[in-house]
Amino acid sequence: MSDLASQLEAVGASLRATLEQVADATQLDEARVRFLGRSGELTAVRRSIGTLPAADRPAAGKTINEAAAELEASIAARGRALEARALEASLATAIDVTFPGSKALTGSIHPLRRTLEDACAYFERRGFAVVLGPEIETERNAFDALNIPADHPAREGFDTFYLGEYLLRPHTSPMQIRVMLEHPAPVAIVVPGKTYRRDANDARHTYMFHQIEGLQIGANVHMGHLKGVLTGLCREIFGSEQAVRFRPSFFPFTEPSAEIDTTCPACAGLGCRTCSGSGWIEIGGCGMVHPNVLRAVGYDPDEVGGWAFGCGIERLALTRYGMDDIRVFFENDPAVLELLA
Amino acid sequence: MRLPLAWVRDYIDLDAPSDEIVRRLAMLGFPVESVERRPPLAGVVVGRVATVERHPNADRLSLCTLDVGADEPLTIATAATNVAAGQVVPVARIGAVLAGPDGGSLQIAPRTMRGIASQGMLCSAAELGLEADWFEDGILQLEPELAAGTDALAHYRLGDDVLEVEVTANRVDAMSVLGLARELAAAFEVPLREPATTSRPLEPPTASTFMVTLASPDCRRFVAQRVTGLRVGVSPAAMRIRLALAGQRPIDSIVDVSNFVMLELGAPPHFYDAAKLSGRALTVRDARAGELLRTLDGEERSLDESALVVADASGPIGLAGLRGGAASEVTAATTSILIETASFAGPRVRRMGARLGLRTDASSRHEKTIPLGLVDLAAARAAHLLEAAGARAHAPSVAGAAHVAATPIAVSTKTIERTLGFRPSIRETQGALERLGFTVTVRSAEWQFDDFGQSAYLATPPPWRGDVAIPVDVVEEVARAIGYDRIEAILPTTEPQIIASGDYENERRVAAALAALGYREAIAYSLQPHDAYETFARAGIEVAEPVEIDNPLSAEQRYLRFSLLPGLLALAAKFQAAAPLRTFEIGHTFARAATTGAPPVEMEAVAWTLVGARSDDPQWRDSGFLTFKGEAEALLRALTGRVAETVTTRVAALHPGKTASLVVGGKDVATIGAVDPRLLLAYGIERPIYAGLLRLRDLPAHATPVYRPASRFPAVERDLALVVAPDVPAREIAFVVRASGDGLVRGVRVFDEYRGPQVGAGKKSLAVRVTLQRDDATLTDAEVDACIGLVLAALRDQLGAEIRA
Repeated sequence: MSDLASQLEAVGASLRATLEQVADATQLDEARVRFLGRSGELTAVRRSIGTLPAADRPAAGKTINEAAAELEASIAARGRALEARALEASLATAIDVTFPGSKALTGSIHPLRRTLEDACAYFERRGFAVVLGPEIETERNAFDALNIPADHPAREGFDTFYLGEYLLRPHTSPMQIRVMLEHPAPVAIVVPGKTYRRDANDARHTYMFHQIEGLQIGANVHMGHLKGVLTGLCREIFGSEQAVRFRPSFFPFTEPSAEIDTTCPACAGLGCRTCSGSGWIEIGGCGMVHPNVLRAVGYDPDEVGGWAFGCGIERLALTRYGMDDIRVFFENDPAVLELLA
Repeated sequence: MRLPLAWVRDYIDLDAPSDEIVRRLAMLGFPVESVERRPPLAGVVVGRVATVERHPNADRLSLCTLDVGADEPLTIATAATNVAAGQVVPVARIGAVLAGPDGGSLQIAPRTMRGIASQGMLCSAAELGLEADWFEDGILQLEPELAAGTDALAHYRLGDDVLEVEVTANRVDAMSVLGLARELAAAFEVPLREPATTSRPLEPPTASTFMVTLASPDCRRFVAQRVTGLRVGVSPAAMRIRLALAGQRPIDSIVDVSNFVMLELGAPPHFYDAAKLSGRALTVRDARAGELLRTLDGEERSLDESALVVADASGPIGLAGLRGGAASEVTAATTSILIETASFAGPRVRRMGARLGLRTDASSRHEKTIPLGLVDLAAARAAHLLEAAGARAHAPSVAGAAHVAATPIAVSTKTIERTLGFRPSIRETQGALERLGFTVTVRSAEWQFDDFGQSAYLATPPPWRGDVAIPVDVVEEVARAIGYDRIEAILPTTEPQIIASGDYENERRVAAALAALGYREAIAYSLQPHDAYETFARAGIEVAEPVEIDNPLSAEQRYLRFSLLPGLLALAAKFQAAAPLRTFEIGHTFARAATTGAPPVEMEAVAWTLVGARSDDPQWRDSGFLTFKGEAEALLRALTGRVAETVTTRVAALHPGKTASLVVGGKDVATIGAVDPRLLLAYGIERPIYAGLLRLRDLPAHATPVYRPASRFPAVERDLALVVAPDVPAREIAFVVRASGDGLVRGVRVFDEYRGPQVGAGKKSLAVRVTLQRDDATLTDAEVDACIGLVLAALRDQLGAEIRA
């Protein structure tokens, strides 16, 4: 017995000494194999039972099993201690989280398209269709049907680019004509698109620019609706505090006509350099569709009427992004496109 | 136009500060672009010079005594040489503030000049904040009848701001001080003092009276009025100050009157020296080809039939509404003049001016057609102002209709409400129109009791308004007068939409998908120089001549772009240092019409480019292309909901051996490829660049994918190493593997290619990963081996593929 006891005692001491040296899970596994494995030290002791008299074997077996359980327990305890230490060490580690993240691949849509899309999204929610049209137009759609007199200065080559009997549309309004010729009232559309005028490029003008045009025709459509819709548009683009002001103006295709002002977003209407101190910025022209335009598309002005507006997108975008030179939009510098994405 | 509030206040009493006036003008439809504040002035009174003596101690100084309405006269020393006893001049008293040089300010303090105390200062125009060059040297001469002691600043309103007002093209009547004063009178509801036009009876017609003939329909009214007994001098200070504040240099007592009337009423008169005219008959007619006229600016102009002229017996004496002739110019010796006022057809005047390269203050008004109602008024006003200087006005000769008898315009309350969304009261409506000069009759059965019943207004526009013709014109006038602020913002309802937004949605989806793949959108100008085309042509790229603009601003903008590529290549060249650079553009491209008379062909195009990194790939491999292709496939998957197939193709501008069509549902949808290296050379691009092109019209509708449950059993992957002839495309291999795999093949991917000594010449080695899977059970090793055996046999039989050792 005592021989067995001393053998077990030696194995136990050896394990304890080994465990003290164990530093990680791998070494712990090695220790387990060395002591408890198939050819481990404890297994060697267990095999020696065969040499004992049969009567002693059950007691010896029991003793060995108890010793084995003890060894198991101390290995497990060591394992838990190692885990705890590793966890502690992990928790005590810090990385430099300010180190730059790996650069993700990002694209972007152009700030002018973004502004157009925001405006279109607003109108789509309000039940308007968004229609696109050709940039090469006829005089009929661009001028005649819009009640622009034959001798209007816009028609002369000073303002409009011509291609023989065709022209580059100087506004998106020809789409009003195309849509109304094709569809009976009621009509509710917006038209985003490129337009062209013979202006020399400078900080405020480019010969190519974008407009969004709106048109609503129906039996009971009035100027209050126009103001309501445009107030919503300005809030969509510049924020919920925006107010809209109509000022009388003159366009051949609308009567009454108005200029649309909205609260200057740069100063919230207090007056600043952006708005020349007035607290308002001009965003476009609008009005009630002129009876001659309705007649030109075969509508009866006594039965239906409605409004139209047109806004220059570059001007909206300049204000929106706090820019002062429209040409930057067409330079397409990747750094600027990324900044305004 | 410049609007001096000092002048406006001649016609209306307006206490409002200029900020409020600016706001009201804007709300009347006349936005103010800028406000010019006058320099601060104080303490200037009218003084009458009693005596002028040489200063005892200084040769260059004079000593004046002045009556300034006080008990004691003031003694003031001055260096000015234009002072004489009896003159009336502005006197700055001690403590006065004047305009100093360079926009500064000058305070008048007691001062001893060479031993004699000077009790103030006599003022020049500059010291009162006026343009020095436009007035006499020395002391400003005021009207002799002014009472000594009058506050000169208040009298001339020298502290009032000057506004720069924008006037819309339909309101030539408001391109005038009186016109805008009339608008302000309506807005502030104050009475308007009309300028005087008569003082004494006109001289009756005589043999010297001019006869006028209108030989062109482009003149609707012409007034010729003789004024005699003139003596050219200096205009009164009040007139000169008003002209100067309005930005018009005072000239002399005759020319000033014509400018004054133009600015005051908006109808520019022209004065001829009556003595220099030939005969007594004037004709307004088309010029004859080859007729010559030396205009007031000294230019000899050769005319043709497009010019409208006023002619006497000698020929043309003036360009209608544009500029007079030099031969009949008013000079210092002039004693009798002929006043011309007229209404010409605006477009004719504008075209004539454009043709002759001439635009004047007068033509900027005549271009908009002077209302008939202003023609006679302007002549009478000019005659009256000349009479004030001692001349005699004669009865005018007229031609054309004085004023088209205005027919009342009937406007119902229903029209007003339908247009504005609300209905102002009858009283308010009538008052608004009347304040603007309309004559209004109300037709309403019971208007006294029921403001909601239907009524009609019969509104007759005033003679100076040529722009009000139909009921909605009147509605706008009502809205203007009561204020656009009264229009309430209401959201409209819309009917269920029947107009499709498809094209726009397509554009939006393409832009979003490309942006999601890392591409940045660019927007380039649609007009290009011929160079863009030539660069392609010179590089040997087949392109058609681009569409040309008839009237380009410059050669840089003469052609419509034939493709989006030149723009993207220019960007790639410019920003290639930022590679990898992914850029796209969506826009129209243009091609010449196939048949004459048809409009140029316009296409909605999409192009995207990837500027990659330089690589050391061998000739037979282009890994940048594969990156680009993967992105293009993802794009088409996102746009069409389907997987695109690749077919070798060739298109202009792309590399002949590195170009592919992406085919969806049997239809070519997009073309992708490496950009033709000749273009890289032409554009100076030093990195590999790939381009994709598609037309929005070619995009099939997005197909909603059909659900198939994912297999719950594990997939098995096997990599095959094959050796094939170099011209066997990867697509063929995938096709054969799928077709032969007994229905177990779930994926095939050729993932590596090798050519070189280890496989020998005329061969290439490919690595192919085959994924096998069953939906109903786990594959056994035997099944996998059998399937791969079939696949290899098929590859060998159909493509001559060998398994690489």
